[in-house]
Amino acid sequence: MTSGENINPETIRGLTQSRVSRRMFMKGAGAVAGAGALSALLAACGVTGTNPSGANPTGGNASGGTDWTSWWASKKQNGVLNFANWPYYIDTDSNGKHASLEAFTKKTGIKVNYKEVIQDDPSYYAKISPLLTKGQSIGQDIIVITDGWYLTEIINNGWAVQLDHSRMPNFTANADRSLLSPSYDPGALHSAVWQTGLTGLAYNSKKVPEGITSFADLLDPKYAGHIGLFSDNTEYGSMALLATGAQTATSTHDDWNKAVEWLNKLKPSVAKFYDQGYTDALQNGDIWISQAWSGDVYQMQQGGHPEIKFVLPTEGVITWHDNMLIPITAENPVDAITWMNYYYTPETAGIIEDYDAYICPVPAAKDYILNTLKDPAVANSPLVFPSAADLAKAQEYYTYKNLADYNAWNALFDPVAQS
Amino acid sequence: MTEPRPVSPAASDAAISIKGVSRRFGDAVAVQYVDLDLARGEFFALLGPSGCGKTTTLRMVGGFELPSTGAIYLEGKDVTTLPPYKRDVNTVFQSYALFPHLTVMENTAFGLRRKGVGKAEAAARAGEYLELVGLAGFDKRRPSQLSGGQQQRVALARALVNHPKVLLLDEPMGALDAKIRKTMQHELKRIQREVGITFLYVTHDQAEAMSMADRLAVMNSGLIEDMGAPQRVYDRPATQFVAEFLGTCNVLPIIVDGAGARLPDGNPLVIDGVAAPTEPGWKVGIRPEKLELTPANRAASGANRTTATVTEVTYLGASTEARLATPWGGELQAYRQNTAETVIRPGDQVEVSWHAAQAFLLPPTPTAIATDEEVAA
Amino acid sequence: MRRLSVPYLLGFTGAAWLILFFLIPLIAGLIVSLMSGDVASGYRLTWNWSIYSDIFVNSNVNYALFLGRSLFYGATATLLTIVIGYPLAYFIAFRVSPRWKTPLLFLVLISFLISFVIRTKMWVFLLGAQGPIISFLQSIHLAGPDFAVLGTPGAVIGGQTYNDLAYMVLPIYVALERIDTRLFEATEDLYGTKRAVFFKTILPLSRSGIFSGILIVFIDTVGDPVNAALLGGRNTYNFGEAIQYAYLNLQQYNVAAALSTVLMIALGIILFVYARVFGTENIEDLV
Repeated sequence: MTSGENINPETIRGLTQSRVSRRMFMKGAGAVAGAGALSALLAACGVTGTNPSGANPTGGNASGGTDWTSWWASKKQNGVLNFANWPYYIDTDSNGKHASLEAFTKKTGIKVNYKEVIQDDPSYYAKISPLLTKGQSIGQDIIVITDGWYLTEIINNGWAVQLDHSRMPNFTANADRSLLSPSYDPGALHSAVWQTGLTGLAYNSKKVPEGITSFADLLDPKYAGHIGLFSDNTEYGSMALLATGAQTATSTHDDWNKAVEWLNKLKPSVAKFYDQGYTDALQNGDIWISQAWSGDVYQMQQGGHPEIKFVLPTEGVITWHDNMLIPITAENPVDAITWMNYYYTPETAGIIEDYDAYICPVPAAKDYILNTLKDPAVANSPLVFPSAADLAKAQEYYTYKNLADYNAWNALFDPVAQS
Repeated sequence: MTEPRPVSPAASDAAISIKGVSRRFGDAVAVQYVDLDLARGEFFALLGPSGCGKTTTLRMVGGFELPSTGAIYLEGKDVTTLPPYKRDVNTVFQSYALFPHLTVMENTAFGLRRKGVGKAEAAARAGEYLELVGLAGFDKRRPSQLSGGQQQRVALARALVNHPKVLLLDEPMGALDAKIRKTMQHELKRIQREVGITFLYVTHDQAEAMSMADRLAVMNSGLIEDMGAPQRVYDRPATQFVAEFLGTCNVLPIIVDGAGARLPDGNPLVIDGVAAPTEPGWKVGIRPEKLELTPANRAASGANRTTATVTEVTYLGASTEARLATPWGGELQAYRQNTAETVIRPGDQVEVSWHAAQAFLLPPTPTAIATDEEVAA
Repeated sequence: MRRLSVPYLLGFTGAAWLILFFLIPLIAGLIVSLMSGDVASGYRLTWNWSIYSDIFVNSNVNYALFLGRSLFYGATATLLTIVIGYPLAYFIAFRVSPRWKTPLLFLVLISFLISFVIRTKMWVFLLGAQGPIISFLQSIHLAGPDFAVLGTPGAVIGGQTYNDLAYMVLPIYVALERIDTRLFEATEDLYGTKRAVFFKTILPLSRSGIFSGILIVFIDTVGDPVNAALLGGRNTYNFGEAIQYAYLNLQQYNVAAALSTVLMIALGIILFVYARVFGTENIEDLV
């Protein structure tokens, strides 16, 4: 069987649209992961836990004992940056060059080793956690992790360097205000957002000419058998919390039970829980309505499918973030934080956003894309630069308190898709 | 190709009648106008070198090939175009073609089962035939667990158990070593007498054919060149090919003039019961064992004799083989029983003579078919 | 040491490979399944045999249903590969001239040169609601406006059949190719019709090829998550997907290992019974 890593990106591009979002790719890789399986099995045989035995096991303030001021003072710039990211997640020209990174090198003299090695959160976590547990280097100075259980684990285990915000004034000045203290990382002490996305609904207006406005619309019997959901229980679980009127961040187990009930009502109408390929299915009319990521919808629309519409449901919309972190064992943390600061400029964020087309963490990049890069399609898209009113409806994923909490969520929500 | 010969109706008392059958493969002619009748219960051998058409003839009788022209009758019934499974004919294949996935018993009962004979009865009858071929107690074995000779017996039992009107045997001894072959020849002859089934036996081994067959036909290049009882065909072969194929033969040129036939040295040639030929190109054949050698120191004169010089003597145990040079530059071969009082040595002058009944004339070009009747006439 | 000759070395190497590639993973899987713990605090071997009852009796996820589904899909797909693959192999083995055999076999193999996932995705496109096949069927009124193939068990089984067809064709072809064709004449000579030639001679003699094919295809399709993920829908969730989910998403290594072990045992029992019934008896007695 072919593992995802072996698929030629050119082939993927030819098969889908002009651009492939890293999220679509990630799930494809996960669905057929075979290569990663062996290493994880071996890891499972050795099986040390991911909570470092010496570290504070209660989590939350695992790094509390470190004097970060003197920690940063002891580090110096080395002129090298090892950067691990997801595929198709940075500006890339036809020669495979990244203009944003080259400009950074030119300005700072820091050479960047950019590697697209992260296929999905669980398997990347499984790969790095044994090394981080032992306090060994993972060979990376920046890694990009989605908010959720694994990000929480990394922060709680004290595996992420606490950022020295005095070294990243651009972040403080230019980041979207909501990113200065996300629910999963209060005060943005360990993370800086790389890209944001929305998980809302999309529909094919050829099949649903009347349009939809809410999660409640999904229960309309005329859509039965034509609805797609994500197979990730965080996605459909969070959706159900919104649909039943709960706040994700403060939701209780009672709220979760209600959400499961709502999902079980919806389930007979669901055609498929998608790991990947929901964009094709929407375009081809195999499904009419689906949970969707904003970036995918933007790219479908740009790729000749204006009939695909994105909806911010009246009940609310989920927002998620992929975050840059500096691993505690990073060899070049100063170079890393230098890049983080550099990224939070309208120019750099704009160049990258013009390629990525998710949601830009730097609102001022809009003007740069519009006036300097002359790409109004991106700049004016409410999917890339959503209005403040839209963002006000957005809620982040529920943040798991601990493993038991995470297991309880899985135990409740897994049987919905696994049936 | 000449016009096809008219096909005469089958002799109704014949087990098989092959009437004017030819077989072409593209431009190549494998079998030309073969006419053959096998009497019931007869052991008939079809003899010839490889590629002579004997196997093709057999396969046409078996139904594995369709004749290009002509017809084949089985006990008077036209079977020319019938598929193999509709003919009361069975074959012992050269490779035996035993079913490797079936036991000896299942192999033997195979034909009966296909004909709808019940399982128990088929097994009983198959058992009888396995006993007949000396394989009682081998029922449960697989072919791969048997020796070559045993496999051949199974193939025989498998065919005979069906009581075919004719049993076709395609070089059945080909894969056996010489010693087993000898035993199997006797065995086969015994079985054939016991079951009384007509055998059509294809072989390239003339000794095998002569020792077993009631009658035989010698084929060459798709034609039957001679057909008859083994002794007649051996003693009075119709063509030089037949003469030389059936053992060794001295072939001498002859001179034809008004007075009759002469040997190259001028001595007259007399053959019992045969008029001297009138056209040139004829030859005379004499088997080596029919030559008599007597020491001589002068040129021989008289009918059926000549003088020769011994060039080589090979002691063969029961006999001695001598090679002789004739005055006209030819070579003769002679076998002598080692009972003669005189001993010959290379360099000796000998007088070579033979009985007028023991030489035979060979026509200039091979023409098809001289039957016993024609020879006798 | 003259006794330590080549045959001994070969035997030793063979045994070493067997242990390395078959025995160790088997035992490793079993051991992991008997561990307990979680990804955060680590997994320790606690001889937790109760996991096997937990996943079937106490689980909130219906693994027994998924196992049943997987076995059903796999068995159906295997049967279909025989029905389609046997005539195909027969055609190449007996009905074409020798110089065409290699190109035709290559044709069978050529699909392997394309990534398995891409191949399957092509079917997602072809069988889509607006894809060429359904559009055509609808245009000639053979299919209603709501007719769908994707998302049905049929689509999953079809995908498995398509993707594994060559695994059935090749061993059958090899078995057929080895048959001495003179046996066909022998069968006809012994009053066997063309039908008997097939059922009494060709079929029993190609049984080993069918058996190999079944072994490969059944094992592969029963454990396969990809066809179900790509071509299936809400009601086609199978055991392979469940194993993958437990392993990759939940990182419950012990559950994933236990599920794999159950699958392996189920396959083992089925194939053992199959081998006992069909492997040692003669098909002649069964037909």
